[in-house]
Amino acid sequence: MPGDTLKNDLKKVLDEALKSINDIKNISDLEKSRVKFLGKKSLLTSLMKSLSDLSKEDKSKAGKSLNDVKTKINNLLAEKKILLSENSDIHEDDFDLSMPGKASAVGSIHPISKTMDYAIQIFESLKFECVEGPEIEDEFHNFTALNIPESHPARAMHDTFYLANNYLLRTHTSSVQVRAMDEKEPPIRIIAPGKVYRKDSDITHTPMFHQIEGLYIDKDVSFSNLKSIINIFLKSFFEEDNLKIRFRPSYFPFTEPSAEVDIEYIDSKGNKNWLEILGCGMVHPNVLDTANIDSSIYSGYAFGLGVERLAMLKLGITDLRLFYENDLRFLKQFQRI
Amino acid sequence: MKFTRSWLENYINVPFNTDELCHHLTMAGLEVDDISSVGKDHVIDIDLTPNRSDCLSVLGVARELNSINKNYKYSSDEKNKNINSTCGNLKFKFSIDEKNICPRYGFMYLRNISPLCDTPKYISQRLSDIGINLVHPIVDILNYIMIDIGQPMHAYDADKINGEISVRLAKKNEIIKALDGNEYKLCSENIVVADSSEIISLAGIIGSNDCSVTKSTKNIVVESAFFKPNYMANKARKLKLQTESSHRFERGVDYNLPKKALMKLQNIILDNKVCDFSDYTLIDNENFLPEKKEVKIDFGKIRKVIGIDISDQDIEESLVAIGCDYSKKKSIVSNPSYRYDLNIHADYIEEIARLYGYDNIPVVSEKISIEPSKTYAPFKAINKIKQYLYDISYSECINYSFVNDDSLENFTWDNKEFTNHYKISNYMSLEQNKLRSNLTASLIKNIEFNNNANSEKSYRFYEISNVFDGKLDQVLTCVVSGDKQDENWASKKQKFDKYDLTTVVEDIGKIFGIAKSELKYVIKEIKCNKKQYIALTLSIKDLINKIQNIKTEKFINYSKLPYIRRDLSFLIGVSVRYESILKLIEEINVHSLKKILLFDLYVGKNIPSGFKSMGMGFIFQDETKTLTHDEADKCIEKILKELKSKFKIELRK
Repeated sequence: MPGDTLKNDLKKVLDEALKSINDIKNISDLEKSRVKFLGKKSLLTSLMKSLSDLSKEDKSKAGKSLNDVKTKINNLLAEKKILLSENSDIHEDDFDLSMPGKASAVGSIHPISKTMDYAIQIFESLKFECVEGPEIEDEFHNFTALNIPESHPARAMHDTFYLANNYLLRTHTSSVQVRAMDEKEPPIRIIAPGKVYRKDSDITHTPMFHQIEGLYIDKDVSFSNLKSIINIFLKSFFEEDNLKIRFRPSYFPFTEPSAEVDIEYIDSKGNKNWLEILGCGMVHPNVLDTANIDSSIYSGYAFGLGVERLAMLKLGITDLRLFYENDLRFLKQFQRI
Repeated sequence: MKFTRSWLENYINVPFNTDELCHHLTMAGLEVDDISSVGKDHVIDIDLTPNRSDCLSVLGVARELNSINKNYKYSSDEKNKNINSTCGNLKFKFSIDEKNICPRYGFMYLRNISPLCDTPKYISQRLSDIGINLVHPIVDILNYIMIDIGQPMHAYDADKINGEISVRLAKKNEIIKALDGNEYKLCSENIVVADSSEIISLAGIIGSNDCSVTKSTKNIVVESAFFKPNYMANKARKLKLQTESSHRFERGVDYNLPKKALMKLQNIILDNKVCDFSDYTLIDNENFLPEKKEVKIDFGKIRKVIGIDISDQDIEESLVAIGCDYSKKKSIVSNPSYRYDLNIHADYIEEIARLYGYDNIPVVSEKISIEPSKTYAPFKAINKIKQYLYDISYSECINYSFVNDDSLENFTWDNKEFTNHYKISNYMSLEQNKLRSNLTASLIKNIEFNNNANSEKSYRFYEISNVFDGKLDQVLTCVVSGDKQDENWASKKQKFDKYDLTTVVEDIGKIFGIAKSELKYVIKEIKCNKKQYIALTLSIKDLINKIQNIKTEKFINYSKLPYIRRDLSFLIGVSVRYESILKLIEEINVHSLKKILLFDLYVGKNIPSGFKSMGMGFIFQDETKTLTHDEADKCIEKILKELKSKFKIELRK
């Protein structure tokens, strides 16, 4: 039967191909082998041509067998090709792995927004809700409602930029606290990030900088809760479980008790120093009362973080003014995301 | 406030080394700013918060240490003896017009001051240790008493005073020639000490030059008064004149000090045989002295707000330790005369927390209900944009909100002329005298700065910030300049053009599911100092508003039948907007037209002027049956016919 002959021929071709491809040692022999088994003058091609003599039914059957063998040989050749190129030390073309790539598509994100964003993420994970307020403020929201009356010596601490009609550039994001307390009912658990302005410019001060204000008001909020949230935040932000943190008494008109928080910092000489990192405290009853929140029922804590300070510590930046020069040699150092 | 360790030891035993002492001070809220050495002694500089005026003296610091830690025991309590005067007091008449501001006014007369007399040795030593210049023996002693116990005093040359002395409000525009050499124009809110002819001091702040003590002064009037802090606040600052004296008075000086200070002065003068001295005189109007504030202690609230388990008795002991009067029967506490910061219950909560030690307060997390945390939508959107711009190699910049009169600043972000700037009335420099109306000018400056500092040939900068152009918008501005990509070996140098920024707008639209036509934006080419910039500004405020109304994305079924594509190349007038071509085709309403692709735009050689060449691909597909070529051709004919009649397009061969 012609079918049996074909079957035998095909088996012979496949066996021979198997053996021959297995023995191949280099790419050029592989190409020779391809011509031999699949080329125009190959047995497989001539068998393919001879199919036209067969009946329709036989033709399709034989055609299928032929194609199967052809596919198998193709696969063998492909596998061998991969094997050969993997094993060889010399690449088949001149692709140089060590060459620089084409134009990079990676940009950079400003370290301040990166730091701010990172801090916001931590606070959002601690269930603080983010809110924003205006940069142009009035004296009521920036001072009066925060227990800083006109005559208060603390106003000397904030050297303020004034605009027309007694409007001013907010000196702290605490002004957003006031707005949030107006709009929401306790429990209030918010953070307010943003730009703030003070009339100060030297090595350690820029007239504009960034703050994140935090506020939590509820029944039974205590100073020990405040210590807890600050501990959690700072350890998480600096990715340091053993970070040493201390609270010491301080003064802010809008909190009572007030505290300044220091972290232990080891300088380049190995000396341990305490570094002031943020201010916080229990919301002053006058602030709650101004916002029509009953201070005999509710208490709260508030804190304010300087974003530049956090960024400098985290990223090892020593000169504050670099943040606002926007020199590519500075910006391009912050490519990680 | 600076003092030396040995000076402090004059009042209390310090059984700790200086570092430990300073740690105690810092942890009590008296932050030590600096420690330095003078000989075997240490100079300690503390940075006091404005509420702690009681610690603006060595005595005050000693008192504080004694109350926070029992190991700091008072050493010999230096008692001023009552002593007999060696001369009579002044014959001047004193009148206190403003009893409410100056309820206590003390004075004393010093006579026969020898030009040869010296400042007592220990006083000159202590003053120079803490960096205070020696001026005149009497002035030095007064300075010493101020640092030692906290009472600011003033010395007038008695022979230069004419007639009656009064404590009164200044007249409008009245002038004082102060001893710092400056003239100050006063207003009716300033309180002054004056004689019959002129102002002899700006009360509690600075003396006049005319009555100041000099080497040749023979007789002196010493003033030791109490001026109320709420009247003193801001007065010195408004005149841009801060002195050690004003610093203390505006924060609050113990009203019991004027007498103590005068007694101390008598003792020092007698011990050191400086000159003759009179009895002191106090003009008192006790009704006007600050009232003690009584506060009822709520022990439960103290424990709850601090979060500590402290007994009632420990609380009571702490209150007494800081010098308060406490009535156990009524649980009522009142503040000592030197503590102006203890007014309400919360102030006492702080005192208890402070004495308990902030470090000893336990760390306890609040209980919060568990629910998924929410990301603030505007920041989420901005972060997506920042991520996208990062991915296409833009660098984020942050600039000050202040600008000067740069020409670009006369435009709002969307390029409308703008003159109504927000001006800063008390700006620091002309470079920063208004709030910026756009971000473009800042970013161009950034590129110029980098161009001078670096060798880059491609700039892709952006900033997201508020702009102050009347509407107070928040915008994204991208400014690009030069080559599209950083120098590299693989791609040909290509310059940025405006369409590169069109892509940015479209992509941002896609990120949020908003069509480009829905976005509020401007793309503009700017020439500045011979350099080309392209700027895109997009309103973030508007974008965020629109995002709120965007529905979540939903799957739309699509046909899997074969498609047919027909490409057309045609000439069309340059002024015809692409948008209007699309609109026209849409109006024809060819059902099977699935997509239009602009694959070429060309203006230049071989194209008649006034025309542009456009290559457009039309992709046809049907949902129900395989589309035939005939059907596709008919659709194309229909489209062509309309385009020809409306826009006079011509097919290119």
